[in-house]
Amino acid sequence: MNNLLVLPFLLPVLTAVICCLFVGRPGVGRRVFIAISATVQCALAFYLAVRAFHEPPLVLLMGGWAPPLGVVLVVDGLAAIMLCLSTVVALACILFSYAEIPVWAEQPLRLPLMQLLVAGINLSFLTGDLFNLFVAFEIMLVASYALLTLEANDRHIKEAFPYLAVNMFGSALFLVAAGLAYSVFGTLNLADISRRAEAMQGDFGVMVVAVLLVVVFGIKAGVFPLYYWLPNSYPILPFSLGAFYSGMLTKVGIYVLLRTFGTVFPHNLTPLYTALAWLAGLTMVLAVLGAVSRNFIRGILSFHIVSQIGYMILAIGFFTPLAIAACIFYVIHHIIVKSSLFLIGGTAMFYNRTDNLARMGGLLKASPILATCFILQAFSLAGVPPLSGFWGKYAIILVGLQEHRYWLVVAALVASVLTLVSMLKIWMGAFWQKLPADGTADPEAPAAARTMTAIVCALTLISLAIGFGAEFFFGIAQTAATSLLDPAQYREAVFSLTGKGGQ
Amino acid sequence: MQIETALLVGLLFAVSVYLLLHKSFVRILFGFVTLTNATNLFLISMSGDPDGKRAPILGEGSGPIVDPLPQALVLTAIVIGFGLTIYLIMLLYRIFLDAKTTDASKLFLPEADDE
Repeated sequence: MNNLLVLPFLLPVLTAVICCLFVGRPGVGRRVFIAISATVQCALAFYLAVRAFHEPPLVLLMGGWAPPLGVVLVVDGLAAIMLCLSTVVALACILFSYAEIPVWAEQPLRLPLMQLLVAGINLSFLTGDLFNLFVAFEIMLVASYALLTLEANDRHIKEAFPYLAVNMFGSALFLVAAGLAYSVFGTLNLADISRRAEAMQGDFGVMVVAVLLVVVFGIKAGVFPLYYWLPNSYPILPFSLGAFYSGMLTKVGIYVLLRTFGTVFPHNLTPLYTALAWLAGLTMVLAVLGAVSRNFIRGILSFHIVSQIGYMILAIGFFTPLAIAACIFYVIHHIIVKSSLFLIGGTAMFYNRTDNLARMGGLLKASPILATCFILQAFSLAGVPPLSGFWGKYAIILVGLQEHRYWLVVAALVASVLTLVSMLKIWMGAFWQKLPADGTADPEAPAAARTMTAIVCALTLISLAIGFGAEFFFGIAQTAATSLLDPAQYREAVFSLTGKGGQ
Repeated sequence: MQIETALLVGLLFAVSVYLLLHKSFVRILFGFVTLTNATNLFLISMSGDPDGKRAPILGEGSGPIVDPLPQALVLTAIVIGFGLTIYLIMLLYRIFLDAKTTDASKLFLPEADDE
């Protein structure tokens, strides 16, 4: 009945396999096929989201085994929101890459690997099993390693080494955490872990597993002492892939942190929440200083990912129902805005043939629409009302004031102002200043530039809708947060199903 | 039985971290190989003490069996570890070809950067 739940994972895998085995060479037909597949995935995600918000969490028992024995897939409000975001961003990035690169120049493995990346990301949202989550992470990471080095040139490829090394170490820790969780709880099913952890309140083993998982997902999300690998490796990607990486990959870490703290572990790990909040404060400020110091678009935007991650972790660190809702709203806003800023950068590079700010310019005259989109999204990222970023930051800072965490509120405000400064740096360099004498502002293919601008406009409209329809989106985030923070409902949904091998 | 395994896992983790902190690509590579094996050994030791238990094969003998789940997990982990090791070897070889060095500390020296 709920067999549809496997499709957000299965469809991208099948698309990738069909592309590799039967249509190895890039061509118009293959592009159309992948675009149709991405659209279907998108529609499916929205269908699942509508169902997840009107019914209790949807559960599928893989292979029909009774809950603690087999792997389960669960879609609740938060998972459904994340599925929608990942498929929408994937669709936008795929269409953008069609305009970015002509058919004859396309790397044959790029789109299949991108589909595998989507599959890994979707599986980590769907899964209700800790070891299966590890497998999903590995699918995602292996695809991301391959994509990172696929089109990197000789000078840039070394940046993939810290990315690989840090993430391999993180994966080893994840495996240790999964093994430890199995020995502490005797199960890997998230619903079952949550049931047993509740009975083991205050047990030292629970804390050890929780700390290990925080370190692992902190590495994946790029939290303060562990973010070094991110801002230097993302700029070597082409813009269309960079947009997807920056939107989704670190947010998988955020999602899993929300899931483990909200649903799996008991809500009394206060020392851990405090540690997370302070790490988040440091992440925000230090990373945004990095962004101010960069002088090319991809570098600035990559540092911003880390800085924005700080706001989401800060919200998790406050750990009140309103803070969790604010975190979910922030994730919705951030994924769309960040990806569209990367795509705007890609379009600007298409006009100027470079993304070095010293050699860019004249884009305000060359493409006023692009400039409008950029200024809207940049203000939204910095948190200027009434754009989407403001509402997320407002809620997080409101919680900070309620909880009397004034230093963290100050850090959030400082980071916000510095975000605006670094965004103005791009605005001045690329859009406002006159074109340097040796520069050019005419795209080689005006039709492709128009397509790119159209995709960017569509994402900007979504982002504006989030800003002006904040009441609706915040309502969604609050519903998702309520069901996330209610482990009993999650367990009820999983254990109400019967299958083979049950009691 | 379990205490020897625990000591061995600890030793392997120590060796791998020691190797990972070196500059030479080859030592870093061996560090990751050791790390993967340390993790796998840790995972399989979660089956509990195997003394006096039989292998979990259906229809053969009776009595207590070893917990088979960590063994299933470790199989997956071994395969993933193999894949990642091969990828790491190829990446390090490519970096060696491009940067003409096997010293990780020389990779990221500031250079005349035009970006």
